[in-house]
Amino acid sequence: MSRPAILSVGAALVAFLLLWQAVVIVSGFPPFILPPPAAVLGRLATAWTAGTIQPHLLATLVEVALGFTVGAGLGLIAGYALARSALVERLVSPYLVAAQATPILAVAPLIALWFGPGLAGKVVICSLIVFFPVAVATMVGIRSVDAGLLELGRSLRATRRQILTTLEIPAALPSILGGMRVGVTLAVVGAIVGEWAGAERGLGVLINLARGSLFDIPLMFAALVTIALVGIVLYLAVVLVERRLVGAR
Amino acid sequence: MTRVGGAIRVDGVDLSFPVRGGGRLPVLDGMTLEIAGGGIVALIGPNGCGKSTLLRVIAGLLAPERGTVDLDTTPIVEPDPRIGLVFQEPRLLPWRSAADNITYPLELAGWPPARRSKRLTELVDLVSLDPGVTGNRPAELSGGTRQRVALARALALEPEVLLLDEPFSALDALSRERFDLELLRLWERAASTILLVTHSIAEAILVADRIVVMSPRPGRVIADIPVELTRPRSIDDLDAAVVSETAREVRRHLGEGEAAA
Ligand SMILES: Nc1ncnc2c1ncn2[C@@H]1O[C@H](COP(=O)(O)OP(=O)(O)O)[C@@H](O)[C@H]1O
Ligand SMILES: [Mg+2]
Repeated sequence: MSRPAILSVGAALVAFLLLWQAVVIVSGFPPFILPPPAAVLGRLATAWTAGTIQPHLLATLVEVALGFTVGAGLGLIAGYALARSALVERLVSPYLVAAQATPILAVAPLIALWFGPGLAGKVVICSLIVFFPVAVATMVGIRSVDAGLLELGRSLRATRRQILTTLEIPAALPSILGGMRVGVTLAVVGAIVGEWAGAERGLGVLINLARGSLFDIPLMFAALVTIALVGIVLYLAVVLVERRLVGAR
Repeated sequence: MTRVGGAIRVDGVDLSFPVRGGGRLPVLDGMTLEIAGGGIVALIGPNGCGKSTLLRVIAGLLAPERGTVDLDTTPIVEPDPRIGLVFQEPRLLPWRSAADNITYPLELAGWPPARRSKRLTELVDLVSLDPGVTGNRPAELSGGTRQRVALARALALEPEVLLLDEPFSALDALSRERFDLELLRLWERAASTILLVTHSIAEAILVADRIVVMSPRPGRVIADIPVELTRPRSIDDLDAAVVSETAREVRRHLGEGEAAA
């Protein structure tokens, strides 16, 4: 990032914290409703040094990583099939849309019932939620490949596989990575939802603990901040990959 | 100048496209054309008469409903490495550098990188591409440079036949004349058979041995006019008397074709 970019991001963060502080002062909410930013950051620091957050963070990260990989992987394959076969699109897309329209919150308890409280259920929920945006973005991207380039490939006797690797994937990459940007943040949502439906560890569990038995609202906020940071870091990671792969065009 | 290989023979080719709502649109109707190996022929005809379609058939991209295309003694039924095709638009891969676009056919054909880069140097020289821009993406190149890259790509596998579909039509008149002369020099060096689709009678006369005039759709040959200009040719040759005579004849046939349609 350039210097002005870093400065503007920093300024926005400071403004956000100031606004938060102002709301605390003006509203007069007690700290167990809305703790001031300093309290939350302080609690985040103590929870981190005491090792409270790490195991939960690690559990959530594993769920996100596996869920994103599986969901995005299946989304890529399905998106390609949808783009290349009208029959597949006609047969499959109604179910895809229906599945996407069903709130994941409503499906999560069912999945927890089927897959148990372990890692598998969370991975399933994560991949379900990641699948759709990646599949749609892949379909759109593959369909956007210039017909003239495909004809060129044919005139050069490119094999099916060469068409895929040298024309379709590079042409679809910007769109696919756009879908992954959305997908990676949704993966975090999926993991938290999955943890709420029943889990022993994870940032979602930590929120429940802090709100319930511990009644430690600053800790709950600290967990929320951690979740937000995870989302931001993952999003930026995809953006970075995007810059490397398609930025030079 | 004529050589043994690279003779094209299009014999009685019929082709039509299905139209929305049923029926078919006849585009080529008994198209017959012979080009000797090493010859350079210009193809001229009204818009939509089937010139690009004919090139696709010769390139093995479209199968005719009737008739045959032969390259020397083998029938063309699918794309053939002995035939290079330059489309009207450069059709470069926007995510690749000019160099990687030029070597794309070599990559598809499985050439190892060292051999590819050696051939690249030759090709850059052959089409007079500025070596300083080979690292640039197509978006950073001028229209003329892009077309040079497309030409180099078509020449990469040393085709015996080069099919050019209005390759210079997007260029301004001056660059176009320069490209025409370069094409002639390239033809002398690469010694391939060339079929050049063009809209410009002057361009056709400047480069070709023969000018083949097509009728309006469905396209067939209505005239085959030899160009009686000696080689090597230069821009000044366009002032010769034979040029206006030939141009008049081409124009007359084009006009007759339009009137009959
Ligand atoms: N793939 C296609 N499907 C349907 N019609 C086509 C197709 N390609 C070309 N045509 C039609 O065939 C006719 C000849 O096209 P083309 O060969 O491109 O003409 P030209 O190059 O001489 O201008 C045009 O009417 C065009 O609309
Ligand atoms: Mg055309």
